[in-house]
Order: sequence, then C-alpha cells, then structure tokens
Amino acid sequence: MNAHDATGTILVNHWQRGVPVYREPVVTRTLIFFAGFAAIGLTLALVRFFSPLGRFSGMNDAYAWGIWKTFNVMTLTALGSGPLAVGMTAWVFNRQRLHVVMRTALVSGFLFYATGLVALGFDVGRAWNFWNILLPWRWNAESAMLEISFCMPVYCFMFLAFENLPLVLERFYYTGNDASKAFLLRWAPVLRRIYPFMLTGAYVLPLMHQSSLGGLLLLAGEKIHPLWQTPFLPLLYLLAAGFCGLGFVTVLLLMACLRYSRPLDDQILGELGNLLSCVCFLFLAVQYGDLIRRGQLGTVFALDKMSLLFLCQTALILIPAIALRNRTVRETPRSLLRMASLACLGGLFYRFIPTTIAFFPARNATYFPSAPELLMTLGYISLGVVAFGLAVKYFAVLPGEVKDWNYMFKLVRQRRAET
Amino acid sequence: MSLTAKISRRQALLGLAGLGGTVASAATARAIEHPAHPVAAPDAVGMLYDNTICTGCKACMPACNEANGLPPDTLLSGGLWDTPADLNSKTKNIIKLYEEPDASGFCFVKRQCMHCLDPACVTGCPFGALKKDNWGAVTWNSTLCIGCRYCEVGCPFDVPKFEWNKWNPKVVKCEFCYDRLKKNDQPACTAVCPTGAVIFGKRTDLLTKAKARIAASPGKYFENRVYGEHEAGGTQVLYLSKVAFDKIGLPKLGSTSIGHYATKVTSVIYKWLSGPVLAACFLGAVIKRNWNRHEAERPEREKETGLPDQL
Repeated sequence: MNAHDATGTILVNHWQRGVPVYREPVVTRTLIFFAGFAAIGLTLALVRFFSPLGRFSGMNDAYAWGIWKTFNVMTLTALGSGPLAVGMTAWVFNRQRLHVVMRTALVSGFLFYATGLVALGFDVGRAWNFWNILLPWRWNAESAMLEISFCMPVYCFMFLAFENLPLVLERFYYTGNDASKAFLLRWAPVLRRIYPFMLTGAYVLPLMHQSSLGGLLLLAGEKIHPLWQTPFLPLLYLLAAGFCGLGFVTVLLLMACLRYSRPLDDQILGELGNLLSCVCFLFLAVQYGDLIRRGQLGTVFALDKMSLLFLCQTALILIPAIALRNRTVRETPRSLLRMASLACLGGLFYRFIPTTIAFFPARNATYFPSAPELLMTLGYISLGVVAFGLAVKYFAVLPGEVKDWNYMFKLVRQRRAET
Repeated sequence: MSLTAKISRRQALLGLAGLGGTVASAATARAIEHPAHPVAAPDAVGMLYDNTICTGCKACMPACNEANGLPPDTLLSGGLWDTPADLNSKTKNIIKLYEEPDASGFCFVKRQCMHCLDPACVTGCPFGALKKDNWGAVTWNSTLCIGCRYCEVGCPFDVPKFEWNKWNPKVVKCEFCYDRLKKNDQPACTAVCPTGAVIFGKRTDLLTKAKARIAASPGKYFENRVYGEHEAGGTQVLYLSKVAFDKIGLPKLGSTSIGHYATKVTSVIYKWLSGPVLAACFLGAVIKRNWNRHEAERPEREKETGLPDQL
C-alpha cells in the first residue's frame, strides 16, 4: 500500500479506506443552522405544492425557467457528477488509487441529484401528470426534457443508490445482530456479482443526461447569446460536468478532511488535480475550437458585457488548468483547494449563464428569483449539507487510515464494556 | 492500458443489462424526422394577416375569447373591459399598435400562435402534450402536460403562456380554433374580421395570394416578402407588413427549423438507442476487465489490512 520516494523513505498513504468520523458530536451548531434552512425550504416547497407557482417565484412567461431548474438541476448536478468523473477514471481508466475517494463522490453526487430532483418536482406545474412516464408509447423520444426526466431519477434512485448501498450495508453489518450479519454475508457476493453491470449503467446514464442538459438549451435557439449557443452545447455541458465533478470532489475532500482533522493524501489529491487540469484543457479546447469554427472569436474579444462575462468564465477555468500543471501547486493543499474551487466556479458559470444571464427572450422582461424561490433553493442545498454531515458520521465515507478504523473499533469495544 | 479488448457476446449482454429497462422501452418510442426546411402538408391550413388592411378594430379579440371560453383581461382597465397588454394566459389573440418613435406613422399587428411547420414546442414537449395535429394546427392536451414550460423556453415567437396564478395551471396558446376546424368552420378571428385583414385558407393558396399582393404593388410591403414563408422553417400563419417585421415583434429568424437544429446530432446518436447501447457495451467490457483485476487483487489487499475490502 505504501509507496517509496526517490531516497527510499516510506511515504505513508494516508487514505487507505473509508472511515466514519467518530470523535465528533453528531449534532453541531452548523448542522442545526443548515437543518433550519432545510426546514424552511421544504416547508415552503410543501406549501408551494398546494398553491400557484406565480406567488412563489419571480418566473414569468419570458423567463419560464427559474433557479430551481437552471441552478439546482442544470448547474448543481455538474458538481454532483463526481461519481461519473471519478468513477470513470477509477473503473474505466483503471486509476486504482482513486477507489478510496469514490464514496465521498458517491454520497455527494447522490445528494446533489436527489435534492435537484426534489427541486424539479416542486417546479413543474402539473406534477400529477408525471405518471405518463410509465407509458412509453406516450414518450416524445426526441425531447431532451423527456430524456432528462426519465434518465435522472433512474440514475439517482437506481444506479447511484445501488453504488451507495455497500457503505450503508457495511454499517448494518458492524452494528447488527448475528442474524443480520449472516444475511449480509450471504448476499454480499451477489452484490459484488452485479456491481460491474450497475457501474456500466451508472456511467452511460449520466453521459446521456448530463449532455442532454446542454441539449435542452439547443431548442432555445437564437434566444441564447451566440457565445454560448452552439451545437456543441451537449458535449460542453458534459465536459463541464467532468471537471466540476473532479473539482468538487477535491474541494469536498480537502474541506472535510481539514474540518475533521484527517491527514491528507498528497498523491491522490495530486492525481485529482492533474486530471482536473486535463479535463479543463479539454473543455477549453473544444469550446474555443467551436468558437473558431463558427467564426465567433471576434465576439469573445468584443469586450461588451457578454464578452467580458465569457472571458471571466474562461479565466476561471484556464487559471486552474495552467496552475495545476505544476506539481507543487497540485500537492500543496492550500493552492489545490483554491484552484479546484476556481474550476468549480468556472464550471458553474458556464452551466448557469446560458440559462438565464445570456438568455434573451423575444420581448423585454426581467427575471430575478423571489425571496421564497431563493429560500427554497437554499433549503434544498442545506438539505444536502445536513445529509452529508450526517452521512460522514454514520457511514465510512471520508477516506482515512486503517489504523484509524482499528482505533475506532477499540473505542467502540471500550464503550460497550463500560455500559 | 489497451482498449482493444474484444467484446464478447456475453459482455455485450452485460452492457445491455446495465441499462436495465431503458433500452427495450425507449426503442419502441416513435421517432420523427426533422428536415432543415420542412414542407407543409398538402392540407395544411393557414392564416394571412396584412397590416396595410387592418384597421385595428379588434373584433377578432372578443371573438377569440368567446370561441375559446377565455375571460376578458381587465387588469389595465380597472375591471372595465378587455385590455391585455400582450398575449397572456387569458389572451390567445391580440391586436397591438406599433407607432414609429418620431410619430411619423403607425400600424397594427395581430399576434397569435404561428403554427410552425416544425414547431420547437412540439419537439421539446416531453410527453407530446403539444402536438402538430390535423391540418397542421398545434394543439395542447391537458392530460399529458406536466407543466415543465419547455415550450415557453423553445418558442421563438414567445407564444405559449402559463397560468402562473392557478393551482392547476394550463398552457394557453392559440390552437387554430381546432374545434371549429373539426366542424369544417374557420377560426373565430378570421370569421369575424370585417376588413379581410386576416383571412383563412390553405397555406399554399394564401402564400400565392400574398405574393400576388406584393407583385401588384411592389414597394408597398417590407422587403417585398411574406413573413412566415421561411422563418424558423416556415409557419402556417403568414404576415404582410408595411413596417419592418422586427419592429412589430416578429423576430429575425433563420430559415432552418429549430427542431432540426436541436435534434440533428442527437437523432443520430439516439437512433434506436444505438449510441447508448454501444457506449454500454464498450464501457461494460472495459469495466468488467478492470473489475476482474480489482477482484483478483482483493485477497492480497484484505490480508495486508486485515479488513474486508470496501466498495
């Protein structure tokens, strides 16, 4: 497990397996703070279900999509694409080292998707007609909206949920009685047998719907500024999901490990930083290649409002892409955190701008989210934060050392002996 | 790492199984072609509006409200009479006044659904609530609509409206008086128009008529052309105007259908779901190989740490 450096000294890999955060109280002030926001958001959502949309949002007929769709779903699921991005590098490109950070990606990805889908459920005006999804002959197969409304829930609640199953079952194994242990031992090999098949679905489906999120915007045609409106939107949305997924997992690992005083693993973080930089470059190459192909390079440097916004977005992606080529930057936690955050921000810019800021409907209208709309968006995000805060304490999500895991069991045994 | 591993039939099946029920069900879903420049069906009906004839009497507006059971929009008039500011959830048809900024002239414009030959709203509608119906009328079906408002995002003419203030919101748009068409009747607005500013007929006939009007008095009409002949792939509502089209709210659009632009790549990738199935087969094969390696190394890892392997 341990590697040797040039002088032959043993370098300890600090991230060896998922270990629960066990020395911290479960309920903290931060948790209560976010739980409060989540409660407000969900209460509003429930009230919204029984009253018209108009009262709860700043949306109008010109800007028919508000931040629940454009931010919670179209933008934030890019950050939730960690399971896709890290998973593909680990299982398809065989980067064995990254397996240990998969659980962080899986839990956060599941929460981004699940809260996004909740947002979507309260955003549609006639949710009760959604049962039509059960009748395939009613599907409009060419609609990107159909692809998303089918693919996203199936991915989240079937494939992502399945990938998250081992870490939940693991807890039941260690806390359960003998009967449940025997049951889990009996079924573990079955789970392992179907796991690679489920992995395949878990990569094909997000490849489809993350690109379809960009495909949605194709239909808006000339309403979207030419810097963003391109036939390459689906591919660019997918690549943005790629680097946002890698970037956000990096940020989350760094922040969580700093928060819970876990040692960091330079090698894994360095590898994530390296991959992040590569995907950022790939994104920029495709984006600028397409701009040149469409003859829009002049628009980029026109230095008007939209061009400045676009250049700002490019800078947010280009700076980390260049900086992370440097090994020292990659392996210094502080600079890696900064660069990964910038890349995430750039990705969020790219995914959000064409939906709202660079979206010019046929007539004069403005959109700004109303207070309940913002509170609901914050509520959904807070719900994810609370769930993640609980998950790292109940399940072996965050990477740690084997000796930490063993120490945890020693503590548990001591506690049991005392009571 | 070599990616040239041969995909066996077993592995191909694995990929399929990984997709679950998606494949079987979606492959049966219908596929509609989207040519870049669609051709109107021979029985396609149309409307021709000519703002050199329209006197702005607005007789079409109450006629439309009556035919469609719409309430008057009395917001601006303080509850007195129907005075909508634009198309909205109570207004499927409107006559608007355009005045030159220097007050040198004015004209009217009638707005309603354009009934595109290849409508963006129909392409995007997830369950086909919006449908290109008989005679090319674009109609809305309440039992299929989930209220996602993708039609509003897609429509280049800003036509579909949503009932933001209703708990059970409908999408409100001109449906070419589909119920009247079924009874072999013409739409309420064209039936009531006293001057013939808006007339009903077969789209081909109306196009000929419009071109004859342009030929009869060249220079009378803006750009000597018919708006809607080619816009966004062509529409079934046609306009003749003495004022620039974009001034009266008819946007400058290319001649390619938006549905074609939006689906030209995806329709190839998703044809019979071949793209996703191929991706699943390929990824499935690579994943299975890496999985087998991972499993082969598992006992060693477990021995080293003394703990069961984590997935």
